[in-house]
Amino acid sequence: MARRKRAAAITGDTWCDKRVATADIHADGLVFTAEMYGVQLDQLAVALGVPERRAAALAAKWTSSGFADAARLGPGSRWVWLTRAGLARCGLPYTPVAPALSRLAHLRAVTAVRLALTATPQFAGAQAFWRSERRLRARFGRKIGLREHIPDGEVHWPDAASAGLTGTDVAWAGECWAIEAELTPKTLVKTVTVMREVLARTGDYGCPSADVTVPGRAPRHARVIYLCSSAAWPVVTRARDSIGGLAGRVEIRMLPPDAIYAPHSPPAALRGAR
Amino acid sequence: MNRRWLGLLVAQVVFKGVVRVGVALLLAAAAVAAAPVFVVAIGGFAAAWYGGWQPRRLMVAAAWCGPMVLAWLAASGHDTAAAPFHAWLAFWKLARAGAIPRAAATIAPAAIPLGLVVAGLAWSYRIRSLGSGAGGLSPAAAVAFDHRQWRHQARAARARIAAPGSAPLTMRDDLVVAGAVIRTVGHRAGRLAVIGYQRLRSHQVVIGTTGTGKTTLLLRLWAGFMATGLRRHADGLGQPPLLVVLDCKGGSAARRVADRVRRVLRESGARSTAVWPDEASLSLWTLPPRQLTTTLVDLIEHGTGGAAYYTDVMEALIGLAVEAPCGPPLSTHDLLARLEPGWLSMAYASTGTPADHAMISTAAGHLADVALRYRTLFRRLGDGLDGPGGFEDADAWYCILEGTDQISVAESQARALVDLLASFAVRGPVKREILLCVDEFSAVSRRLPIWQLYERARALGLAVQVSAQSWQGLGASEDERRRIAASAEGGIWLLRTPEPEPIVTFAGSRRVVDTARRLVRFPFWAHAGSSRLTDRPVVDAALIRALDVGQAAYIYRAGVTYIQVKRMVGSPAAVGAPPVPPSPAVVAVPQPRALPDVSSVLDAAFGSERVT
Repeated sequence: MARRKRAAAITGDTWCDKRVATADIHADGLVFTAEMYGVQLDQLAVALGVPERRAAALAAKWTSSGFADAARLGPGSRWVWLTRAGLARCGLPYTPVAPALSRLAHLRAVTAVRLALTATPQFAGAQAFWRSERRLRARFGRKIGLREHIPDGEVHWPDAASAGLTGTDVAWAGECWAIEAELTPKTLVKTVTVMREVLARTGDYGCPSADVTVPGRAPRHARVIYLCSSAAWPVVTRARDSIGGLAGRVEIRMLPPDAIYAPHSPPAALRGAR
Repeated sequence: MNRRWLGLLVAQVVFKGVVRVGVALLLAAAAVAAAPVFVVAIGGFAAAWYGGWQPRRLMVAAAWCGPMVLAWLAASGHDTAAAPFHAWLAFWKLARAGAIPRAAATIAPAAIPLGLVVAGLAWSYRIRSLGSGAGGLSPAAAVAFDHRQWRHQARAARARIAAPGSAPLTMRDDLVVAGAVIRTVGHRAGRLAVIGYQRLRSHQVVIGTTGTGKTTLLLRLWAGFMATGLRRHADGLGQPPLLVVLDCKGGSAARRVADRVRRVLRESGARSTAVWPDEASLSLWTLPPRQLTTTLVDLIEHGTGGAAYYTDVMEALIGLAVEAPCGPPLSTHDLLARLEPGWLSMAYASTGTPADHAMISTAAGHLADVALRYRTLFRRLGDGLDGPGGFEDADAWYCILEGTDQISVAESQARALVDLLASFAVRGPVKREILLCVDEFSAVSRRLPIWQLYERARALGLAVQVSAQSWQGLGASEDERRRIAASAEGGIWLLRTPEPEPIVTFAGSRRVVDTARRLVRFPFWAHAGSSRLTDRPVVDAALIRALDVGQAAYIYRAGVTYIQVKRMVGSPAAVGAPPVPPSPAVVAVPQPRALPDVSSVLDAAFGSERVT
C-alpha cells in the first residue's frame, strides 16, 4: 500500500486514480478472459495494454482469489481461464470450464483476430463491440438450437457511428459482421454450407427456430469476415466463388501472424512494447 | 277347458304385471331414498354416454374422490361408520326445510363417489350387454348403439385436440403424440394417442385414399420424429435424425407440401430442409465404384431372356468406365466422356489386364448404343443427381419425383436416391438415425424393391415408412405386398380406404361373447337364448370404410387404436405468393443497398486481401 502511494506521488496521479485504474484493469481482464473461454498471458497483456509480466501478476492475483485458474496447457505462455467464482464476479452466466486442449489453437486464433480488429482506430472511434462465441452460445441455454452454426464472434458497429455521435464516422455503421477464423481447411461443401447459413440468417442466436431464417427479412450479418491460415485459404476462396451473388458479402483475409499457436511467439504489439 | 286355460293365462299375465309393478315401485322407492346417489349416477351415466367414455373413467373418478371421503370421515368425529347414515338423515332434514344447497353439500362427500361407482357399473353393464348382443329393445339396437357411441367418441376426441396446446408434439419418455384417442381395441385406452420414438424408428405402412388426411398424419409423425430425435441427440442418447421423404406424386401439389413440411419441421427444431431437385442436389458420383456401377445399370430398364445379353454388355462397359485406373467418374459429363470411342482403350492401355482388353474389344461395338442410352437417361433425369451435395447437408430432405407424368424417370430417380441413402447409412461421414418415407409408393413400386431395403435396413439404422392409397399400391404382387405389411413392426396406419380387408387380417381377431335371442314378435324378445364364444376381427372393416377426414386406425400387435390426428400448423409460409409484376408506370424499383467498402479497417487489422 505504501509502495503504491509512493508511486502515485512520483507520477503525479492521486492514489485514488491508481486504485480505480487497477480495478478497471482487473475488470477488463476478467471479462475479456471469460468471453474468450481462456487466453494466453501474452494475449492478455496485449488486451490490457500492459507488459506480459504485469499480466502474469494479474493472473496470479486472480488465481489466489479463486477467480481464475492458470496452467501451461501447451506451447507458449500460460493459459488463464475463469472459475465459477470469477464468472459470478463478472455476472456472466457461462459454464466454468477449462479451455479444451483440442481448441487451444482455435481460441488463440480468435483472440488474435479480436485483438487485431480492436486495435484499429475505426473500431475504437466508432465504439464498435465484439460479441464473443461464448456469449452467443450462452443465449441458447440447453435448447436444441445448439446445432446451429455459431460464428467465432460478431462485431457490431453502432448506428451512432454514422450520425456523428461518436468520434469516428464509418460508412458501415449499423452493420453486424460475423467473424470466422479458419485454421484448418474443411470440405468445400461444409464451408459453403456454413457461409450460406451465416449470410442467410435473420434471427439472433437463441431466437425461436422459426425466426432463424425468414425470407424477406434483412439478414442478421451484413457480411462475414473470414480470417484464414494459408492452408484454409484456397477452400474458403473457392467456397466464396461458388455462392454466386452472396460472394460480395464475404471478406477474406489472412490470420494475423500472432494467431498461430506456436511456442514462443509473442505478439508483434507486445514485442514493440518490450 | 278353454275357459280354464284362458283364466290361467289371464292370471299369469296379471301376476307378471303385479310383479313388474312391484319391482318398479321398489326401485323407485330406493331411488327416492338414495336420491343424491341416484342423481350423481344419472349424471355420470349421461356424461359417459355423451362423451363415449369407457366405464373405467367413471371408476377412476370415483377413486379420486377417496381423499375427499377420508377427509370427510375424519371431520365427522368418532362415529365414522355411521357418518353416511347421519349425513343421509341430515340431508332429508335440510331438504324438507328447503335448504337444498346445504343439503347437497352435506351428502356430497358420500353421494358423489357412490354415484360414480353406480354409474360406472351401469355403464359397463350397458356396454357389455349390447356388445354381446344380450341387450337392447330391437335387433338393431347394438349396431345403433355402436354407431352412436362412435359419433360421441369422435366428437369428444375432436374437442380434446381443438384447444391450443392440448396435444403437444412430444411427451417425456420419447413419446410422440399423434392425436386424440377415439376408441381402442386391445390397446390401453388413454386420452392422447402416443407412440414411442423407437416404434417410429421401425418400419411402418400408411394406407389411405386421397383426401383422408394422409399427409397430415405423415407430417405429424415426421415432426415428432425430428423433434424427439433432436432432443435425444442433444441429451447424448442418440445420433442426429435424418428424414428423407420421397414424394412420388410430383407436380405443384408436391411443392406445396414441401413448403408445409419445411415450415413444420423448422418448428420442430430442424435447422434445414432441402427440397430436391428444386433447391438442392445430390451427387450420385459419391457412391463407391462397385455400387455406382450397379446403380447406373439399374437406372436403365433392361429386359430378360435374350435381352439379358445386352444387359451384360452394358454392365461390363459401365464397370470398365467406372472402375477405370484413373478413378471413378466425378460427373455425368465425365461418365459420358468415358463412353466415347477410344477412351477405355486408352485408359486401360498401361495398367489393364488382358481380360480388360478382351472385354473392351468385345464390347466396343455396343459402346455407342450404351452411350446413347445413358445420354438420354441423364437428360431426362436432370441435374439433381449430379451434385454437389449429400444427405449430411440437411436435417431433412424432401425429394420430389415426377411420378405422375414421368413414371420411368421417377422410378430411376427413386432407385438412385435409395441407393445413395443406403450408401450414406453405411459409409456416411456421420452416423444418423434415418427415417425414409416413400409417399405414393405405387408410382415407383415397379422398380424399387423396397422390401429388400426393409429387410436389411434395420442393421443400417434406417427405418422405412411406405405410404400408398390402397393395398394394391404397396406392391406389384400379393407376395410383395404381404411381405411389406408383415415387416411393418412399427405398426400400420390405416385411413379410409375402400378395401381394408387384407390389412385388417394383420390385426387378427379376438374372442367375444355372442348371444342369440329368440324374437317372439317384433319388438318383443323372449327371455331365452344362447351365448357362445366367437372370433371377431380386431379391426372393424366397416368402420375403416366410414372413417372421416383426419381419422386413422393404428394397428399394432393384435390391437387397434382409432385416432383423431392433430393437425400440425407451421409458421407463416416461408415463400409468399409470387409478387405481382409492377405496372409500367411504376419505375421506382427498390434496389438492394450496395455494401460500403470496409477495406480500410480490414487492411488496418489484417493486411490487404491476398491475390491468388
